[in-house]
Amino acid sequence: MNLALEYALPVLTDPLVIGLIVGGTLVGVIIGALPGLSSSMGVALLLPFSLYLEPIPAIALLSALYCAGTFGGSITAILINAPGAPPAVATAFDGYPMAVKGEAGRALGIAAVSSVSGGILSVLVLLLAAPMLARVAYSFGPPEYFALGVFALSMLASISGEAPLKNLIGGCLGLLIATVGIDLTTGVERFTFGVPELYEGIQFIPVLIGLFAVTELLSQAQQLGRERIAVALSALKLPTLDDFRRIKGTILRSSGIGIFVGVLPAEGSTMAAMIGYNEAKRWSKTPEKFGEGAIEGVAGPEAANNAATGGAMVPTLALGIPGSATAAVILGGLQVQGLRPGPYLFEEQPGLLYGIFFAMLIANILFLFIGLLGAKVFARISLVPRTLLWPTVFALCFVGAYGLNQSIVDVWIMIISGLVGFVLKRNGFGPAPIIMGIVLGGLVETSLAQSMIIFDQQWTGFLTRPIALAFFALAIISLTGAQIRVALTRIFHRDSE
Amino acid sequence: MKHHDTITGLVLLGLCAVTYWLTTGFSEVPAMLSQSVPPTFFPRLIISFVAVLSGVLVVTGLRKTPKVPSVLPAVFWTTVAIIASAGFLTGFFGTLMTLGIIAVALPIAWGERRYGLIGALAFCLPTFIYLVFTLGLDVRFPAGRIFDMLLQT
Repeated sequence: MNLALEYALPVLTDPLVIGLIVGGTLVGVIIGALPGLSSSMGVALLLPFSLYLEPIPAIALLSALYCAGTFGGSITAILINAPGAPPAVATAFDGYPMAVKGEAGRALGIAAVSSVSGGILSVLVLLLAAPMLARVAYSFGPPEYFALGVFALSMLASISGEAPLKNLIGGCLGLLIATVGIDLTTGVERFTFGVPELYEGIQFIPVLIGLFAVTELLSQAQQLGRERIAVALSALKLPTLDDFRRIKGTILRSSGIGIFVGVLPAEGSTMAAMIGYNEAKRWSKTPEKFGEGAIEGVAGPEAANNAATGGAMVPTLALGIPGSATAAVILGGLQVQGLRPGPYLFEEQPGLLYGIFFAMLIANILFLFIGLLGAKVFARISLVPRTLLWPTVFALCFVGAYGLNQSIVDVWIMIISGLVGFVLKRNGFGPAPIIMGIVLGGLVETSLAQSMIIFDQQWTGFLTRPIALAFFALAIISLTGAQIRVALTRIFHRDSE
Repeated sequence: MKHHDTITGLVLLGLCAVTYWLTTGFSEVPAMLSQSVPPTFFPRLIISFVAVLSGVLVVTGLRKTPKVPSVLPAVFWTTVAIIASAGFLTGFFGTLMTLGIIAVALPIAWGERRYGLIGALAFCLPTFIYLVFTLGLDVRFPAGRIFDMLLQT
């Protein structure tokens, strides 16, 4: 505890850091509330600018935005039935019916309290679990890291469940993109086509901005006819004692689910929210009221999606394996800052963990007040015309891509990535798996090459490493889990018939 | 009516063939230097894996009901043209003016007709970027050939 305070005090007393956390929280809520803009995109857009800061203030800013962006989506989900971000989709199922019944303020209050509770619980888990996991990871060698990378990539099969195969392909394409540039072991150029700007590899930030923001801009161009109507703009009301008694079990359960789902590599807030909602319904004494404005239907997904944020940071910091798409962006930011995420990060940058911890903690408390004071305003912000919002987003994309290296080639990479991302999205490939692949590329390739050297080119060498085998087994389970479940259901159905 | 996933899988298989062929052009290095892990090893491994997955996509795509692909509206293509032109225009007009042009072109292409708002955006956006990034963060944006010519004259 003394150690935590020793590192926390400089963070908490630095006006710049506090200002960035407040700013990040405010921007996060706004970005989360704007339909089409997600916390992943917000962090991607802010990442290039954060590189002008020292690592701790930069990561504090991004972490605050991550937490607040996840909550921000619920405001518009409840008030105008337009989830600002995918993790808030499940919140709209019961939040919007509550708003229609004239209980918008109550729904917002329940969403805020549930989000804050889930977020704070997950941050506490982050503080306790990340160093423990890092200590375990000290014993990992290249084979274990390679197996862990394979496990993380295999988990892509279960995010946005409609296209597991495409997610895997997307992850592999990301790995392939990561091989562009000069091979560090041999000095051989790979896929550079003689372009000097590609010698150091394809810049991560322009690709990231292109895939997240430009792709979404092009998607928005397809949906211009659809208008959003505010049916209920309301201020936030804190839940009554009776409400709190009804939802406290749901909050605790969903927070646990959210943290667990967040810790799993690649899984994020959206999946946590859906499971949180389903479990809230399953445990409810009145499941028939779900979809008509049940308060547990708001508390469940909100506690889960915010709990997933802290959970996702655990493997990101301790192992260098992103726990979600947004965590992958933050991980990329750490790498661009010259930091080496993984167990040694805690030795090299002990203040960083506490910086992130306190940034997330403060952000979680702040957005309750921001919600209390400004839910009505944020709901109005969400009605800003798309025709003016997206040119502004594009300008930020342009400046963000250009700013880091001050190179117009990076702007072209961003534009091309956006176009490719749109084509891929139209064919069912999401941007998150590709980003995960790019972020994991270096780790997977290096650890595989080192493993092959250790094992003298014999793949069977992996069989001698129990931890690596355990990760491979988990990878197989995550890849085949859905098929096994279907097969088991069929068998049991046949038996019961 | 199209078997969308099958076509996607076939395109990916083609992409795998091209990238595999590109790996054959990588310089060869002595085994001592590469420690028996040549620079082609990892890319080829990934390409093979993508090829296998794409093959599965081709087969599973055939089992799905064919869909009529949705047509992209004209405004989408206009948006692509405007975005792509940003890269070219920067060379001539410089970044700030290009962003001003985009701030006018994109809203008009998207059907915005409140010209006062568009004008305000076209003025405020480059000004904000200049103040924050050029003056605040010392990011030097290209001035563009036209501005350079004006300076010379």
